[in-house]
Amino acid sequence: MNGPSVADLGLLIPELILTGMALVLILVARRAQGTALPVVGTVMAAVGAAVAAWWVLSSEPQSAFAGLITIDGYAQFFKVLVAAALALVALLSVKGLEGKGVPRSEYHVLLLLASTGMMLTVSAVDMVTFYLGLELITLCSYILVGITVDRPKSNEAAIKYFLLASFASALMLFGISLTYGLTGTTSFSGVAAAIAERGLADHPLQLAALALIASGLAFKIAAVPFHAWAPDAYQGASTPVAAFLASGSKAAGLAAVGRVGLIAFGADAPALSTILVGLAALSVALGSVLALAQTEMKRLLAYSSIAHVGYALMGLIAGTPEGASATMTYAFFYVFMTLGTFGVVIGLGARGATVDGYQGLAAQRPGLAAVMLLFLLALTGIPLTSGFVAKFIVISSAVGAGYVVLAVLAVVCSVVSAFVYMRIAVLMYMKDPEAPMPARLPVALCVALAVAVIVTLVGGVLPGLVTPWAVAP
Amino acid sequence: MTAEHTGIGVALVLAGVIAGGMVVLASILGKKYPTPGKLAPFECGNEPIGLPMGQLAVKFYMTAILFILFDVELVFLYPWAVLYRDLGVLGLTEMFIFLGVLLVGFVYAWDNGALEWK
Repeated sequence: MNGPSVADLGLLIPELILTGMALVLILVARRAQGTALPVVGTVMAAVGAAVAAWWVLSSEPQSAFAGLITIDGYAQFFKVLVAAALALVALLSVKGLEGKGVPRSEYHVLLLLASTGMMLTVSAVDMVTFYLGLELITLCSYILVGITVDRPKSNEAAIKYFLLASFASALMLFGISLTYGLTGTTSFSGVAAAIAERGLADHPLQLAALALIASGLAFKIAAVPFHAWAPDAYQGASTPVAAFLASGSKAAGLAAVGRVGLIAFGADAPALSTILVGLAALSVALGSVLALAQTEMKRLLAYSSIAHVGYALMGLIAGTPEGASATMTYAFFYVFMTLGTFGVVIGLGARGATVDGYQGLAAQRPGLAAVMLLFLLALTGIPLTSGFVAKFIVISSAVGAGYVVLAVLAVVCSVVSAFVYMRIAVLMYMKDPEAPMPARLPVALCVALAVAVIVTLVGGVLPGLVTPWAVAP
Repeated sequence: MTAEHTGIGVALVLAGVIAGGMVVLASILGKKYPTPGKLAPFECGNEPIGLPMGQLAVKFYMTAILFILFDVELVFLYPWAVLYRDLGVLGLTEMFIFLGVLLVGFVYAWDNGALEWK
């Protein structure tokens, strides 16, 4: 293991681009308040970071900063995904930031910094960097949830989110410290080696550490039973912020679970599988069932995101590289379909906030209704959309690992969730409009929706364009 | 526990005894002539106990946060200065990046009027 050198900074170019843009936006914050600069800058930085993440990886995985981070296909995949989510959320933010006087520049700075944290998390191979990355995400997310200071709901959501999330972070840190105490190292591969060599897999403290780290991470991705914050936080936050929490944060959290599970606790496979089966089964079942009862779009999508995290976790249960790539593909397609759905919700403004608002949308705005229908079909998992491909590969991965009951549960819940999504489709297509015609969508929002539509459609027809890039760590 | 940990224990005990002893001794031996002025909070900004009514002066917090900005900078500069030669060019680069980021934060605070005592 070599010591760090200046050249190592070259491997962090995607993160440096995002941070650099964040610094620029902070410097010009007061002057850029009413301009398009924050949005344009954020989107440019995200595109630059995606290109850089693509370009940095030459061929072999590279390790940097004395083994604190690694740049491999796994990190590259998720960095591109995070950058894409950032760009789309920045475009979605042109509308839907409810409340007066949201500081635009600071808002985008927080998006950029949270994305930097996500990129660090997905390439971390050391507990400390890993924790640092996750905390950077959550720290920015707290402020983002509460950034509309004049809305009491937003403040309430931010406080709830802050209290629960800091508790979960403390649990995870406790788990990390237990692991460090047992194995004497914080590096993922070192932990795995120590567990394997010294037979620590069944050590009670190691199991406690695993459970603590798993609960901390389950909180970050809002898997049941650590999901309670999500509906409140999503509802209180502005819709673009909720979209950001449901897309980028989830993807980075899943990436974190994948890398920690596969590399650090690979030797702990039986215990880890049990935990993951529990999280996945509960998330899929409760997420789908509770979504049925929702009348507010953001709460509905929060429960939908909880269910989707359950599906995504199913790929990781097997502990195999194939399973991990299934989860990666799921995360990729899920980010675009959920961002698309949030995009339509934002586009409809106040009308889009409740399920009833979609009544008769097809008669008023057939194009927008069709787009919404596509995302709803994808979220349900209907063939020829990316949602079907994503669900198919994670469920077949679970079947391959011998978890047939879980797979059956997932399929049943998928049918249940069809009621949730098709209810909106029925309202859009089979009812007469009651609300006035919605306003035209801003161009930026249309661009974001177009990207999400293309990925969802092309991913459903030609998933082979994405799956080869989903290489496990 | 090895011999090198004993020192930490001794330091802990000593610190506890000295600090605790001074407080106890002062409360036993010291003469007390309380006046309202002496009992008021000293250099602490606002009343520590009271009903949550009225508004707090945000400017004190602003100053405290700005102070922490530079405090953290110093905390980070000390170990860097000690290991300056070993860290070499990378250490220098990273420290300048760090200082640059801090400076941007400071400029932001300045630009948005955090330094104006109003």
